[in-house]
Parts: sequence; C-alpha cells; structure tokens
Amino acid sequence: MKSNSETILKGIPICRGIAIGKPYVVSLSDFHIPDFLIPEERIEEEIARYQLALQKARNDISDLLKQAAKEDIAESVSLLDSQLHMMQDPLLTVEVENEIRKSQKNAEAAFHLIIANSQKKFESLDEFFKERFRELKDISHRVLGHLRSSARTSLATLPADSIIFSRELSSSETAEANIASVNALVTEFGGLTSHAAILARARGTPYVSNISFAHIDPTKHQLVIVDGRTGEVILNPSPKTLEKYEKKYHQLQTHLKNLAQVSRLKAETYDGYAVGLSANIEIASEVDTLHSHGGHNVGLFRSEYIFLDKEKLPNEEEQFKIYRELVEKMKGHSIVIRTFDVGGDKRFPNQPVSNEVNPFLGCRAIRFLLKEREIFLEQLCAILRASKYGDVSVMFPMISTLSELIEAKQVLAEAKKSLAKRGEKIGTVRIGCMIEVPSAAIIADLLAKECDFLSIGTNDLVQYALAVDRGNHALSSLYTPTHPSVIRLIRSVVHEANHHGIPVSVCGEVAADPRFTPLLLGLGVHELSVATRYIPIVKHAIRQTSIVAASRLAEVALSLSTALEIQTLLDTEYKKTVPDDCFYNC
Amino acid sequence: MSEKLINKVKVKNSMGLHTRPATAIVKLLQNSKSNVYFTHKKDTINAKSILSILMLAAGKNSSITITVDGEDASTTMANLVSAFENKFDEN
Repeated sequence: MKSNSETILKGIPICRGIAIGKPYVVSLSDFHIPDFLIPEERIEEEIARYQLALQKARNDISDLLKQAAKEDIAESVSLLDSQLHMMQDPLLTVEVENEIRKSQKNAEAAFHLIIANSQKKFESLDEFFKERFRELKDISHRVLGHLRSSARTSLATLPADSIIFSRELSSSETAEANIASVNALVTEFGGLTSHAAILARARGTPYVSNISFAHIDPTKHQLVIVDGRTGEVILNPSPKTLEKYEKKYHQLQTHLKNLAQVSRLKAETYDGYAVGLSANIEIASEVDTLHSHGGHNVGLFRSEYIFLDKEKLPNEEEQFKIYRELVEKMKGHSIVIRTFDVGGDKRFPNQPVSNEVNPFLGCRAIRFLLKEREIFLEQLCAILRASKYGDVSVMFPMISTLSELIEAKQVLAEAKKSLAKRGEKIGTVRIGCMIEVPSAAIIADLLAKECDFLSIGTNDLVQYALAVDRGNHALSSLYTPTHPSVIRLIRSVVHEANHHGIPVSVCGEVAADPRFTPLLLGLGVHELSVATRYIPIVKHAIRQTSIVAASRLAEVALSLSTALEIQTLLDTEYKKTVPDDCFYNC
Repeated sequence: MSEKLINKVKVKNSMGLHTRPATAIVKLLQNSKSNVYFTHKKDTINAKSILSILMLAAGKNSSITITVDGEDASTTMANLVSAFENKFDEN
C-alpha cells in the first residue's frame, strides 16, 4: 500500500469526537521478561516487591470495577469481579512466592514461569476452556507492567498529539496513558464494553475499534484523523480532507468552550420555559464538581453505592453520618435519595447467593426492601434523621404495583414513629416513586395520588417495555429508547403527573442525550436528572429550543410508527437546533 | 470438631465450570474455614482457586467429587451442593 495516498479504514465507533494526530503504535508482543538470580538475603524484599505489584494490579481492577458498576455494564462487572478473585488465587499468591524462594529468581521470571505453566495446562484443554486463559493473560500483563517501571511509564510519556494504535488495550494501559498527549485510540479488538472503552468515554477520548492494521504500518504515516462518530480512521489525509476535519475540529472546540459558558446560565428554553436540571450521583464527593458544571440539585442519589464495595451494610448510625454529610454538602439545595436498588446484578453484602433464574424479574429493589423490613427501616430512619439538615426527598425504586408504594409508605411512617419515640427531630421529606416498570407507567394516575413526585427511569423502562436485556449484545439493535411504545409510556406518565399536579422528572441515559431534550420537554417533562458531566450539554440543548417547537416535535414523534423514524427525526432536529455539536451530528 | 465429608455432584449448567461459576464457588468458600478439594477424572485441586477450577475443564454433566475437611464442613458442603444444584444461577 502506498504510504502517500489517503487511506480510509472503517471500524466501529466507540467514543464520539474528532482527533487529528500522529500515530503511535503500542505493541505488547516484545514484552521482555528479565530473568536473573536474587541474592538470598534479598529474597523477602523481592517477594514484597511482587506483592506490591499484585496489590497495584488489584487496585487497577477494583477502580475499573467501580467505574463499570457506575456505568451499569453488568457483563464488565462480572468479568472484572472474576479477575479480582483470580488475583487472590493461591496460584498467583502463595505459589509465585514459593517459586521466588525456591528458584531464587527475580519476581518477573518466577511469575512468568507460573503463568507459562498454567498456559501449557490451559492449552491442553478443549476449545472452550482454552479460551479462559485470556483472563489470566490480561492479569499477567498488568502485573508485569507494575513490576517493570519502564513498561509502566511507556504510555505515560507519549509525544504530544499521539493517536494510539494497538491490537488491544488493557485497562491499565488506557488508565496510564497520559490524557494530555493522547488524542485518540484505535484498536483491532475491544468492543463497546471493553475496559478501554469505558475509560475512553469517561474521559471523552475519541476511540475507534475493529480496525485491522495487519497490512498497513501506521508509523509510516505522518498524520491520522480519527472520527469517533462514524468510525473512520483516515491515514495520510489529503489536504482537502484535512481542511474539512480541521474545520470540524475547531467547530467542536468552540462548541465545548461555549458549553462551559452556558453552564453558568439558567436552564430555560429561549422562550423562557424553565426546566429543572439536576444531577445523578453515586458518591458524596460528586457534589463538589456539581457546581462547576452548572448544577445545584441532585435528582437521584443511588444509595446502594454506599455499600457496593463493602463487606457489610453500614448500620443506621453509619448511614446517618453518610447521608448527613451529603445533605450538608448540598447547602440547602434539594436532594433525592433513592432507597437501595439491589438485586439484579447488584448483590447485598452478606446475603446468600440468590437462586433466581431471572434476577432482573426477581426480588429487586423495593421487593427486596419490603421483604427485608429491618434493612429498609434502618435506611429510612437514617434518611429521615439526615433530613433536618437540608432539603431531602426519598424515592422508592422499581415500584410495579400500588400496594408496594402504600406498603413502603407504611414503613416510612413506622420509621417516623420510632424516631419520634427516640426523641429525634426530622425534616419534611417528600416521597417519590420511580416509574421504570411498564405496569407502573400504566397506573401512573393511581401512583401519582399516593406520592409527591414521579421519576421515570428510562434504562429499565426501555428494557422491560421491549423485553430486551440491555446487557445482551446480540439484541442491542432492539434496545431502542425511541420505540413508539416507550414514547407513549413517557407521555402517559407525564400526562397523569401533570393532571395530579405533581412534578415528574426523567433520569436515565435518555435524559442525558441532548437529541432527546426537546422531545422530553415537548412531552411535558419539567425536570431532567443526568450524570454531572452531561449538565452543560443538556443545558445547551434546552437553551437552543423553544417550548412551542418542542411541543410540535413531540406531536410529530407521536405520529410516527417506528423507532428508526423517531430516532431520525430527533437526529435531524438536533442538527438544525444545535449545528455546532459535532459530537452528535455527523 | 473437625470432620471430613465427601460428596459427588454433577455439573448441570450448560457451559460447565467456566469463569463465572468458578468465581461463584471461590466467593462461596471465601469465609469457609475448611479445606475444600474437587476431584474430576484424575485431578484433585484446591477448590478455593479459580484458576485450578478452570483447569479442571469440567463441562456439562461431568461429575465432581467434593471433599470438605474442617470445622464448618457440613455447612460448607451444603452450600456447595446447593450451588451446583442451582446451576450457579445459570441455565
């Protein structure tokens, strides 16, 4: 292939954005394993060095696990959890230490020997089990990386404007890549839920995968353009292409700068319709960045995150301290605390392994809490006690029938009574009901009479309405939030809430996608709750639309019959109202 | 107090003892005070090691002999047997 002509490669877009830069090829194959003898008196030191590297690798994985749990990617969570346990495997702990003692070799050599022995065993197994070695290989790269400081810094000292090309990127490599000098990532392997993808999205680094560069040598090319929106990687762009992309790139940068300014402005349409824009958070420290992103209120605090990485559930007193600190951080702005959403893929500490065949249709969230009354009561007491320090609402997850809401309110009343007996003062707490099951959406009028606000959780609502597991890649084309059924359900919930004079918000990914913003406003939604970093982009979308245009858009959307038609409508409209946003517009 | 129990179980889930069930087993045994071994064909391994379980390459319908030795042998055995019985929440 001629290296001076423009070459366009097409891959799978993983993370949106545009980057122009110089290729930097990372190869793992030339991983050199140092091999030498250790003097006897330094053996224990060498073992300690190994243990430290293993610990660091473990920390990498547990950070990624938190990230994946936060992004709700069940498949990734389960894989990372397995890796975490593998790193505590006697084979990788005791056996490696014994090998260092026995052979008096350096940690890299001893570790490599143990891995090589396992590899031999794995290779003798049948096809399916042979594949399981991949996890161990990934771990071994990471541990060796930590053992060798040179390997560890390789991606941290990249030249400026680098575009990384690699067969695949392990999570620790992506984590270590110096964000300031990496413009984009291009890999041959690794999908939407790979660890590299999760990190790239968190950082906003453009990423294209599934690019085969077996027959090309990226280093021979001076310049590369990565279009993370379309999945195109352009080697040696022609002056014309380059000019086009430079223009787009600048447009995007200007847009981002404008967004930063918008974050200080009010969330209202240009004809003056005010929209509540609040944040979804998992940990208290997120409140600190809320203000700089132009937000004030918290529309969803996912309380289960206080114990997901813990051995046991914090008791009432411990929970009270956590909630109180959080509420005080809010400085008078409102916060909605959602009671524990456990079950499904989130397991409770110290609870027996559930035997449910279908956990997402099983004992989740409110169903679990109503069965485990003591846990529920303790949490409600802790929330009520924290309520006197600010503006607190409590919200029940996964309500599917009216009786659940009524029963949950009874437990809340019980909690109030018991606190009164103890002489504890509490604030006024509003009660909210999540609408994330189709049955709840359909009886929204009945639920609205029993609570102070509704909140539509679109991630689950889409999954349950369409009977599509959102973690199942084979079905990803069926997981369509623009499906007419979903739009109708949202409309009906909003209609009932407005009819009963209670606020209704939308949380979930749909709320954070600016292409949906006018549609949601047009359907009558008054409040959106999104991850903090999406506040500016959604605020901008709100400010670029008018409530009149939004209502008209909603009417058109409701008249369409397929998810694709509605998606196209939203894309087209967004291109018209926010033409500068090259993240979403191609 | 210490007792030794031996029990034979069948792997019922369709993919056999792959990564997820192996992780589930090791988690289940995390707090067990007993020594636990799996024997499959001619191999006997420490059941608290995910990698060793994987290397057994025990597919569907293979039979595993569980040996539990320690003070909490009976609860440990009961938990294990029911996990195998429930196909580790798979199908």
